[in-house]
Amino acid sequence: MTSPDEHFEQRARELWHEAAQRIDPATAGRLRAARRQALEAAKAPVHRAVRWLIPTGAFAAIALAAMMVWQPLPQHHATTAMHTSGTIDDLDSELPPDADKTDPNLYQNLDFYGWLASTDSHTATR
Amino acid sequence: MNSVAGTLDTDLLGDARETPATLDAFLAQVERRAFRMAELQLRHREDAMDAVQDAMLRLVRHYRDKPAAEWAPLFWGILRRRVVDLQRRRKVRSIVVGWLGGGRDDDGDELPAWEPADPGQDPLGRLHDVQSYADMAAAVRQLPQRQREAFMLRMLEGLDVAETARAMGCSEGSVKTHLSRAMHHLRDQLEDWR
Repeated sequence: MTSPDEHFEQRARELWHEAAQRIDPATAGRLRAARRQALEAAKAPVHRAVRWLIPTGAFAAIALAAMMVWQPLPQHHATTAMHTSGTIDDLDSELPPDADKTDPNLYQNLDFYGWLASTDSHTATR
Repeated sequence: MNSVAGTLDTDLLGDARETPATLDAFLAQVERRAFRMAELQLRHREDAMDAVQDAMLRLVRHYRDKPAAEWAPLFWGILRRRVVDLQRRRKVRSIVVGWLGGGRDDDGDELPAWEPADPGQDPLGRLHDVQSYADMAAAVRQLPQRQREAFMLRMLEGLDVAETARAMGCSEGSVKTHLSRAMHHLRDQLEDWR
């Protein structure tokens, strides 16, 4: 003799299994097809090209992005280098600066700057 | 609870608890019940079919080399997660449809559900136990998600506590708690069975 709880559990399980068996033929056929498809898909080896497609694509995208970011830098670097070398040249050169790069006041007051230079040299010798 | 544990090992489970030799045999054994389980929770045959198909594919693809004894909890765990994913996706879709004003027609009347009509909703009407199963299914659907999962895996599918816990991704104590609450609720709901 079963208790009410056991009867309840037994009844639930019976109905469950009966319901599973009463699935219509079309659905049962689709389930069988799905099972075969899953088993076949597992047998088929994953194509190497497909396996590498995503990582290769990602690498290509990263490389392209890196190129786009880094490409302007050499130009900038070259410009900076040229500018730097020009400055060094200016410093090292003993030639007077070009007229168009120099303050025009320098040429207007040459006598004053000449006197100032001579005064400084006199002071230094003392 | 002890009565629950005790009666699960009865002959009723029969071949459901036998470990099949091949993955094909295992899937053949569980595919119909898996469909019923997904259908009961999703209430949509096509979604249920998708869930079962996906669970089969994932089991075969990722776990075919596992011991046969582990297939059952793995399969039911995969199916459970797939069902939850579909439920969440459906919820999001409903929200989006609601935001876009898709729930009402030009006259302001509520439109029918966005899901297509399910032609095979009640193919079992001729059989004697259909109403009982429908009552049980309705009562099970009213359970909270975790209680429903515990009841279906432990009680209907016959997994043991450890297997159910593994399939549900929780502790064995949680399984017992969920199952106890589920049984309490179902006994109240299905009083006529006593």
